[in-house]
Amino acid sequence: MTRKGRLWTAARTRRLVQVAFLVLFAGLVLAARPQPGGETSHLVEVFFHFDPLILIATWLSAHALYAGALLALVTIVLTLVVGRVFCGWICPLGTIHAAAGRFLRWVWPERKHADHWSRWQLAKYYVLIAMLVMAVLGTHWVCVFDPLVFLYRTTTTALLPATQWAVESGSTAVFQWDPGVGPARLTAVTEPVYGFLRDNVFVIPKQGFLGGGLIFGLFFVTLLLNRYRARFWCRYLCPLGALLGVFAWRPLMRRAVREENCNRCDLCGMACHGAAVRPVSNPSGEAGAEERVGNPSHWIASECLGCFNCTDACRRDALGFTVSLPGRKAAPVRSVDLSKRGTLGAILGGLAALALFRTTPQSRGHTFHPRLMRPPGSRPEREFLARCTGCGLCMKVCPTGGLQPAWTEAGLEGLWTPRLVPQIGYCDYNCSLCGQVCPTQAIAELELDEKQKTRIGLAAFDITRCIPYAYARDCMVCEEHCPIPDKAIYFLEVEIQDRSGGKKTMKQPHVDPDKCIGCGVCENVCPYKDRPGIRVSSANESRHPDNQPILPEGSPY
Amino acid sequence: MGTWSRRGFLVRSAAGISAAAAGPLLAFGADPSKPADMAIARWTGNKDLTAKELQKAATQLTESALAGLGGLGRFVRKGDKVWVKPNIGWDRAPELAANCNPDVVATVVRLCFEAGAKVVKVGDNPCDLAAKTYVTSGIPAAVRPLGAEVVFLDRSRFRETAIKGERVKTLPVYPEILDCDLVINIAVAKHHGLANATLCMKNYMGVIEKRNTFHQAMPVCVADLTRFMKPRIAILDAVRILKAHGPKGGNPADVAIKTTVAAGIDLVALDALGAEILGKKPTDIPIIVKGQEVGLGKIDYRSLAPKEIAVS
Repeated sequence: MTRKGRLWTAARTRRLVQVAFLVLFAGLVLAARPQPGGETSHLVEVFFHFDPLILIATWLSAHALYAGALLALVTIVLTLVVGRVFCGWICPLGTIHAAAGRFLRWVWPERKHADHWSRWQLAKYYVLIAMLVMAVLGTHWVCVFDPLVFLYRTTTTALLPATQWAVESGSTAVFQWDPGVGPARLTAVTEPVYGFLRDNVFVIPKQGFLGGGLIFGLFFVTLLLNRYRARFWCRYLCPLGALLGVFAWRPLMRRAVREENCNRCDLCGMACHGAAVRPVSNPSGEAGAEERVGNPSHWIASECLGCFNCTDACRRDALGFTVSLPGRKAAPVRSVDLSKRGTLGAILGGLAALALFRTTPQSRGHTFHPRLMRPPGSRPEREFLARCTGCGLCMKVCPTGGLQPAWTEAGLEGLWTPRLVPQIGYCDYNCSLCGQVCPTQAIAELELDEKQKTRIGLAAFDITRCIPYAYARDCMVCEEHCPIPDKAIYFLEVEIQDRSGGKKTMKQPHVDPDKCIGCGVCENVCPYKDRPGIRVSSANESRHPDNQPILPEGSPY
Repeated sequence: MGTWSRRGFLVRSAAGISAAAAGPLLAFGADPSKPADMAIARWTGNKDLTAKELQKAATQLTESALAGLGGLGRFVRKGDKVWVKPNIGWDRAPELAANCNPDVVATVVRLCFEAGAKVVKVGDNPCDLAAKTYVTSGIPAAVRPLGAEVVFLDRSRFRETAIKGERVKTLPVYPEILDCDLVINIAVAKHHGLANATLCMKNYMGVIEKRNTFHQAMPVCVADLTRFMKPRIAILDAVRILKAHGPKGGNPADVAIKTTVAAGIDLVALDALGAEILGKKPTDIPIIVKGQEVGLGKIDYRSLAPKEIAVS
């Protein structure tokens, strides 16, 4: 596609920049991990702060603005000046889709064909309108499909754990087999590589996420769609793309056609990533059939990703980008025309979707899901759902791997939001990382001593399973691990009869509801690995006065 | 596997030789000029020690206790690979006495190198998150400058090993530990909710996995594991002890400063001493009783004529 006689082209520069941002994004994903000192850099959330969709949606739904997110104004100004270059040059998900498209066309070639604007590209605008309506009424669902969030979640819950599985099981197999020739062992190579990845990339051994495969499935389907239309996600679905499209309605940088050079060959149209050229006859109405295709002057700024594929593809130097300044004749720009009917439909659709989300007893506040234990510092559920994007950053930094994406526990509205699953990992007493990294502060940042007093649930023994109760044998592993200095789990010595009628003194554990903070380490270390003899439920959580069944001892007044 | 590796052979013969050497030593244990089989170093100086002075005292106590045993040269040969196994169980600072005193551990590491050890590895299998626990314990920072290798035990590198005990038949044991010529057990004296006290024998629970079922029959399981480990030397760290809410603790009020370090070849005797320091009767601690029952040592540690050393 290189233009004749030119070795280096704008599109190549763009690809370099794209790869650089993708590497930066991946680096920030890997950098977001539990640190022994407990502190982590706010840099790990920086991509989200540049995201105007998160800024606007959080402002609409939670009426919250936070300093870091104002960086998104940079993206907005950039878009006002040069259009959707964020999509074309920066967005790491966009880069992956562009690469996937190239790859799919390489393994599964197709004939070059015109790939022009389709009205279906309006879908993303209607989806954005519907979701912003939902945001105004207090849900953050639009961000769940933000491209950066989508990629972060997929990387954290699926791509990295899959890689980890491959590295761990592969190297363990080599370790146990220990093949070699004479004194040269294969493990001399595999063990250091494995050790490096274990200590610097994976950090938590055997990490896994509930439903990671399904999250990957969604990602994979969107990748495959690139074979049907280049950058399918970016063109038809992406809510951030739609938002930036609004800001790119009349950018200063515009594409201009040198009519005298253009022969309507449509090479530019075939190379266009965003399908930004509209195949209509020219506005004067006197166009012939040959005018219907390949007229590059029908350029829709909102759909252009600024990828420079068109200028690269043009063999006759008929295309160029110019800056339109006041006093200079601006190059013509066409708009996406949202219909009144479609817009009204989107608004009503958003209302209907939210109404249906809120029909569950849980969302009406009648009940609380026993296994919806939110990370410490989480705001009350309604406010939490107004902020949480489901990006998975908290899950990535959780040092025990216990924060998992919710599927049904928080309703459809809370899809992929974080919850603690104590059997997988508990809430570490000396850690407050999740609140430190949460980009929208759905999990408030707590000082460690404050966090150590924040209740996220309450433990209760299942005396039909707990070993000292059910089988009259010693155990007490839970008591040993309870991190509360004065122990929320204590034991009473009781005299029981054994099978032969003899008397025996046993230590039977109990939970002190005034001391338990619901960290779940008891459930995690219980010898039962299927259904523990002690389990934590969301009861008593600090954030919901209505979910506190136990009257504290001693008056709080 | 049936065959003996070269290292395994060396370990076993070293164990045999030292056992043979221990015979005559036992006979002369009462002779003050001969090295004892148990030495107790107690601080008799100023009671109100600053943090810095306590560090110095811990170092001196450890040096004295090991000197009373005849020096680490009795156990470490030139070129040996030594595993120092302190208690690094919990994500708690040294002041909370949930882990071994870093200065005691560092002194042992230094004396190992002075006795000719080629490699000294330090590691435990913490109950809390290893990466955090190691840092909080202060032990890596104390031993790394001395040249010791701080090892994190990798969950997927434990190997199911025959224990052939009374109750425990096999366990996942960390092979790198068994690979060493000597394991030096350093235990901190702590209260323990279930076992009443955790001391030297129970400290071996840090070389294995699948230990949470041990609680159902703690004394016999710990005795099985201790016999499997064939202990040759252990050090009891009672510089700070945890009197209540053990083994994890967390409340400074539960910590007492006892400024005592003991070393010996009989773990039951050391544990009996530790129980007394904790204010308990050794016979009230089932692990210690079981230890004597299976022949791991003597509860009546005074019968070993331990060398009492006053340090100030």
